[in-house]
Amino acid sequence: MANNLIAELTQHLNSRHLYPTTQWLQSFTGTIRPNTPLPALKQTALFRLLAADITTALSQPANGLFPTDILKATNQSRPLVGPVVCQVLDIEDIGHSKWSQVEAIEARERGETTKGREVIRVVPGEDGNPIEEPPQSRGPFKLLLQDAKGLKVYAYDLNGIEGLNASMNMGTKLLLRNCDVRRGVIMLEPGFVQILGGKIEALDKMWKDGRKDRLIAAAKAEGNDGA
Amino acid sequence: MEVRTVLCVAEKPSIAKAIANHLGDQVTTVSTDARNPPVELMDVQHNIQGNPYVKNYEFDYTFPQWGHCSVTMTSVLGHLLSHEFEPRYKSWTSCDPSALFDARIEVFVGSNRKPIADNIKRHARRADVLYIWTDCDREGEHIGTEIRSVAAQSNQALGRAGGTVRAHFSNIERAHIIHAAHHPTDLDEGQADAVASRIELDLRVGASFTRHLTLSLCPVLQRGNLSEASQLISYGSCQFPTLGFIVERYLRVRNFIPEPFWSIKLMHRKAGTRVNFSWARKHLFDRMIVVILYEWCLTSQNAQVQKVKTTPTSKWKPLPLTTLELQKCGSRFLGMDSQKVLQLAEKLYQKGWISYPRTETDQFDQGTDLRGLIQKQAQGGRWADYATALVEGGFSWPRNGRNNDKAHPPIHPVNFVNPTTLSHEEQRVHEFVVRRFLACCSKDAQGSKTDISILYGPETFNVSGLVILERNYLDVYVYDRWDNQELPPFIEGEVFEPTEAILSEGKTSPPGYLTEPDLLALMNANGIGTDATMADHIVTIIDRQYVEARAQPRQARHGNDEEESEELPAQARVGNGRRGRTAVARRRGGRNSGAGRGGAITGVREFIPTTLGVALVEGHENMGFETNLTKPFLRKEMELKMNAICDGQTTKARVVNETIEQYRGVYARMQQHPGVLCTAVRKYVFGKVN
Repeated sequence: MANNLIAELTQHLNSRHLYPTTQWLQSFTGTIRPNTPLPALKQTALFRLLAADITTALSQPANGLFPTDILKATNQSRPLVGPVVCQVLDIEDIGHSKWSQVEAIEARERGETTKGREVIRVVPGEDGNPIEEPPQSRGPFKLLLQDAKGLKVYAYDLNGIEGLNASMNMGTKLLLRNCDVRRGVIMLEPGFVQILGGKIEALDKMWKDGRKDRLIAAAKAEGNDGA
Repeated sequence: MEVRTVLCVAEKPSIAKAIANHLGDQVTTVSTDARNPPVELMDVQHNIQGNPYVKNYEFDYTFPQWGHCSVTMTSVLGHLLSHEFEPRYKSWTSCDPSALFDARIEVFVGSNRKPIADNIKRHARRADVLYIWTDCDREGEHIGTEIRSVAAQSNQALGRAGGTVRAHFSNIERAHIIHAAHHPTDLDEGQADAVASRIELDLRVGASFTRHLTLSLCPVLQRGNLSEASQLISYGSCQFPTLGFIVERYLRVRNFIPEPFWSIKLMHRKAGTRVNFSWARKHLFDRMIVVILYEWCLTSQNAQVQKVKTTPTSKWKPLPLTTLELQKCGSRFLGMDSQKVLQLAEKLYQKGWISYPRTETDQFDQGTDLRGLIQKQAQGGRWADYATALVEGGFSWPRNGRNNDKAHPPIHPVNFVNPTTLSHEEQRVHEFVVRRFLACCSKDAQGSKTDISILYGPETFNVSGLVILERNYLDVYVYDRWDNQELPPFIEGEVFEPTEAILSEGKTSPPGYLTEPDLLALMNANGIGTDATMADHIVTIIDRQYVEARAQPRQARHGNDEEESEELPAQARVGNGRRGRTAVARRRGGRNSGAGRGGAITGVREFIPTTLGVALVEGHENMGFETNLTKPFLRKEMELKMNAICDGQTTKARVVNETIEQYRGVYARMQQHPGVLCTAVRKYVFGKVN
């Protein structure tokens, strides 16, 4: 019975290009309640897998991983066929200076958007047009992705993919197909990237809590290098 | 009630004289004392006893509403009454400063105003009606009630209903004044009460906090051997938030960390013209990515034109002129500080050349005879031809702004004056007002814009061309610029190999210190002060040595691509381990773009806090409560409550009580953190870090 269950779950997850390790499957089946209907179990398995760290939870076939020579900078351009499953470890807004991002965070922290305690700091421009402050920056964004073997690669979101932004969860799983890799950086384009979802709780919390300090440290480091 | 005798009182002697000249055109002979020969005058005028500035004018006038009357026209010199605490609170050591929240306030005629008050009382005795001709704003309304209360001391009837009326006027042009004289209204008690609350609150809160701050910081400042005068730390509910803005910007500049960025610059030579395309991404802060994109473009070799769109475009003529705009433009275009611009505008108003310069209204009432006003300006001056042409064909109704204070129209020229009769500085302000008005009544400038978008590799680049077809208002409003931008023709689908593509590097640079126009705009947006008082608050914090003003160095303000576009977001952090300057005396704290660089100045003023100013703001920040005195909330709430009194939604008593309670709370909290301010002052003024 259990074997059948595992087979069912495996088939379900594989159809989504996810290849869990046997340990992960066993620990998962150990937690389920008997008499839970199969469709619900399949959903739960998917959900839990997406919330896991794929370097321990997945054992991907070769085409589900980054090619081992992906980082070779001498390759001007090479394809990434996939379908590769990877998780997002970091995302950077490279369209705005780190300092301006810090200031934006501090403005939110000060609660200067709370009613009655507003301090207006952006005054309409001289031609009467209000200066737009987008609630969410549109980047562009550079991401750090990691495959199931732990290999880390940078990726660049060329045209803005829905769901990839500074408020996304760290540990989100992506599925990449037929991407172009330029000088060791994966070029992400809509249609070739699927956001599977999920997150890694501990990583995400640490990322969000430490974001401001990381930005400040990075700005200082850059400011001092060959300034 | 039969009205035979009218006493008119204006706010200033010059206004009284102007009105008397308009209304009184009956010739009366008078013989004054033996030293002066008898003279024939348009009206009888004589100085009052005890004050050389104020005159009384006597004439007869037939009012439609009252018939033939004998009129005495006189004036005051601003506020008549003074407010002070009872004598036993006068000394700083007589009580705890917080006692001033409840202490009794005495209202009396100031000693230097006694002759003026006596003059009013004397004439009030015989008057049937008191006609108030103070300036039509809140302060004027309040002064009107002061005059009424003084007059009522010798003639109670004037203090009762119908005993006092009020004239509404926005300029001192003849027809306008006569119209005002024929249509009296009542004093606006709401506005007068709003001012009365402000006076009381400023006195109670100002005095108590000034005493508290000074006494707390006295021991610290005394050690620095500073002069007696500079040991007074005064508090004003508008000054501190104004200081807050300036310090905040200063800290942002000081803590700024420049960051490098990279961009792709594309240039193509076509038909003998260099066309510079700008990258749609502007610039990115990651070199590796930009290099990859740049390489991608180069290996693509050709660019293709995606879109060519030609559309008509216009540059809008300016909005009608408000006080705030006048001050900002005065700073930007005339290089004059806000207080001076307002003083000069006030003079022009008093002489009858422009309308009342304290207004928030930026829309012209539909009934205004704009053509008539333009016609007057066709008589002379550099704009005469333009004005003539405007009446004959180019006229267009002004744009409507969003503000209307319902009291005064936008600032505009009222009469023609030969500029040579004005002082040089008055000429400059006058010229600006005239040009602005004529521009408002002109058509927008029209042009044709061509936007071109090309795809080069994965990246989009854009360029815009502009052909100006009709300059219209730009011909008279020389302060705006619009330049032709030539572009050779491109066709959609066209493919070409760009002449030059370069990878370039730049660095972000800090924002400039807060300039006067930007500070005024921030004060306005956050409800600090009114258009009439904002300039005064700036002067005050300079006098108190909380900030210094200097001419903005030209390098500090640029518009080119390499600079980070400036927004004004959050409070800057004070950098770790960065101490204030060690200084015995107050020194300015900024180090950015000093006069040593290039040296050219823009004429705009910028503000830099002194070490004391920074200390005060940081001290208050560190006390850490929401009702931080250096933030605008408290004053903004007070201003909103003033408005509510004017609208009749609340009363003076309630507003004073509520506000005093708020400040009492702040005071109590400050007392719980006595060392914080001292520490901040020690750190910044004396450079000692504990």
